[in-house]
Amino acid sequence: MKRTDWKKCIAALALSVLAAVSAVPLSAQAQSLPYQSYNYDYWEDIIFTPAPYEPDYVVSGLSLTYEGEPLGNFVTPQDVCVADDGSIYLADTGNNRIVVLDSSAKKVLEVITGFENDGAEDSFNQPYGVAVSETDQLYIADSQNHRIVVLNKDRSLSRIIANPTSEVLEDGFVFVPLKVTVDYADRVYCIAQNMFEGIMVFETDGRFAGFFGTINVEITLWERFWRKIASKEERAKSQLFIPTEFTGVDIDPDGFVYASNIDTTGIQGVRRLNPKGQDVIRKGFRENLGGDLQIAGSTDYAGPSQFTDVVYREHGIYSCLDRKRGRIFTYDHEGNLLYIFGGIGTQDGTFQLPVAIENVGGDVIVLDATKANITYYRETEYGRLINRAVALRYSGDETAAVELWQKVLLLDEDNELANTGIGKAYLTGGDYVSAMKYLELGMARDYYSVAYKRYRNDFLTDHASVFLTGILILAAAGVLVSQLKKRGIIRKRKKA
Amino acid sequence: MRELFSREKWRYLFYTISHPMDGFYWIRHQERGSVALAVFLVILFSACFTANRLLASFVVSDIDERTVNSAYELLTVLILYILLCVSNWSVTCLMNGEGRLKDIAIAIGYGTFPISVVFVIATIVSQFVADDEQAFYTLILAVGIAYGLILILIGIMQVHNYTMGKTLVTLLLTLAAFLVIVFLILLMTNLMGMVYNFFHSIYTELIFRV
Repeated sequence: MKRTDWKKCIAALALSVLAAVSAVPLSAQAQSLPYQSYNYDYWEDIIFTPAPYEPDYVVSGLSLTYEGEPLGNFVTPQDVCVADDGSIYLADTGNNRIVVLDSSAKKVLEVITGFENDGAEDSFNQPYGVAVSETDQLYIADSQNHRIVVLNKDRSLSRIIANPTSEVLEDGFVFVPLKVTVDYADRVYCIAQNMFEGIMVFETDGRFAGFFGTINVEITLWERFWRKIASKEERAKSQLFIPTEFTGVDIDPDGFVYASNIDTTGIQGVRRLNPKGQDVIRKGFRENLGGDLQIAGSTDYAGPSQFTDVVYREHGIYSCLDRKRGRIFTYDHEGNLLYIFGGIGTQDGTFQLPVAIENVGGDVIVLDATKANITYYRETEYGRLINRAVALRYSGDETAAVELWQKVLLLDEDNELANTGIGKAYLTGGDYVSAMKYLELGMARDYYSVAYKRYRNDFLTDHASVFLTGILILAAAGVLVSQLKKRGIIRKRKKA
Repeated sequence: MRELFSREKWRYLFYTISHPMDGFYWIRHQERGSVALAVFLVILFSACFTANRLLASFVVSDIDERTVNSAYELLTVLILYILLCVSNWSVTCLMNGEGRLKDIAIAIGYGTFPISVVFVIATIVSQFVADDEQAFYTLILAVGIAYGLILILIGIMQVHNYTMGKTLVTLLLTLAAFLVIVFLILLMTNLMGMVYNFFHSIYTELIFRV
């Protein structure tokens, strides 16, 4: 080796050491998070990613004061809701009150413990769910009082929804509203306890309108076979085939209802229901919206994710909260799994029993019933890039998203969404070779095939003269040889 | 080993592939085939199979390249080959088959050749197909594999001088014999393991006490 080469080697070595040293604080920071962020690749292998969100701070009732008095800790709070002005409504179920916080949850704006009902003071009993309408009316699922209370902005009673009557409801049905949400027309969507038929819908005047988004039970051929050969006693003993209950609802600006449910097969834990109650969610190439994909095993920790709440965020992005492993799964409008973060644990940023998820001005907040606190998650650079790139794609501006996807690749070079995004932009730009390269990395067969076909067409058209000349020469040579053979100028080869 | 480079044997391989009925008959009766060549063809088959899994375009192939292990696949193919030959031989011995183990090995080995060829062709073709043209790739593969299987079937029929019906019956029995052999091997390794564990525990007992 020459002397100069040695110098180069030493310089390269020094540079790499420098790079390694400067990279230390970053990786140390990543390890200080109490959970690992990951995603699934095309083959459903776990690929660890940078954290898309990191816990910012945690708020519990102990750290808050209201009108000079300590607020006291929350007791099994079950729901949070964010109003348009950013204020947070928290259903402090065990304390029978609704606490209104500002958007950072550091200041208590109001505590609602009761309201005036026909001149008498009325209060809540285990208020389980809470929602705020566009007209700033407050909807409270007052579960043990079997009613939904609607309060005006000045906290005077607007109306009470109770005792739904309909011939589809069984006699002796007890209405226990758990979660509630309201759309732009003040229609109320309510998840009630033991109500397997679907989400209960109430018209503006409080009339029960019917069920919404019923989940059909699917009985496999195998189960049918066993039921067929089972005796009557065995059949009575066996599990009933009842549909799963919905667990959480949210509504997007277009009036579509996002509803989470617990799917024991781990295939679809969230639905997007149109005004007719039909599921119109897009499921992506895996046909899976069930959270974790690697769920095999027989331990308590194994098994499908159990989505307990869903929040529509913006630009078609929605996040689902898994109470089984305390993770937050975020999907885009095409059903691609964008990122996963969170976990079960005792550290800040992990949960014991997460029950509700909301979106506060870009931050994701999660309510934990056992820890009785709210965790604020702030998006990292990685999360911000993905969110913005997906938003651009949602609005149809894929070319502008390329720059963002390229930055995503710097942080996470295996990101299939980023590779596909870049590839699609090259495809529209007409650079088919680059498009094919990135689309292959993104495992996007369909778009790759489009790019490849166009590339092949271009190649054939560009080289048509070469091909045609070649064919012509071959044909001429063939004719020449056969003529020469005929006239005996070249001899035919003898058979061996 | 020298047979591998014999021009005669190679030419006869191609003759057998194009004229299987005739070809396999004379392999049995005139020593025109070669076991070395057959084993070589099986190794070639394993290589082409692995190459197809590794190199076929991602449009047609759903295989994660990281999970492909060529050495492991070669071993599997060779073991399967030996087991198949032995189980067929043990069945046909009892059923008046005329073929020797050698002939069976040649029949199966030669039959893999068209499959190896189509693996290579299909792998090359896969580089030039789009998503909706996968049918070409599948067709090429299917034709080659079907031809290879037919060759093996005719080969076994001819070396044993069987009728087609009897060949099919013996092939079914071969499958059963195959499973019996696998079962016996598993049983044996299990029992050997137990014996080993027995002596090993005596050994550890002694070590701890002495």
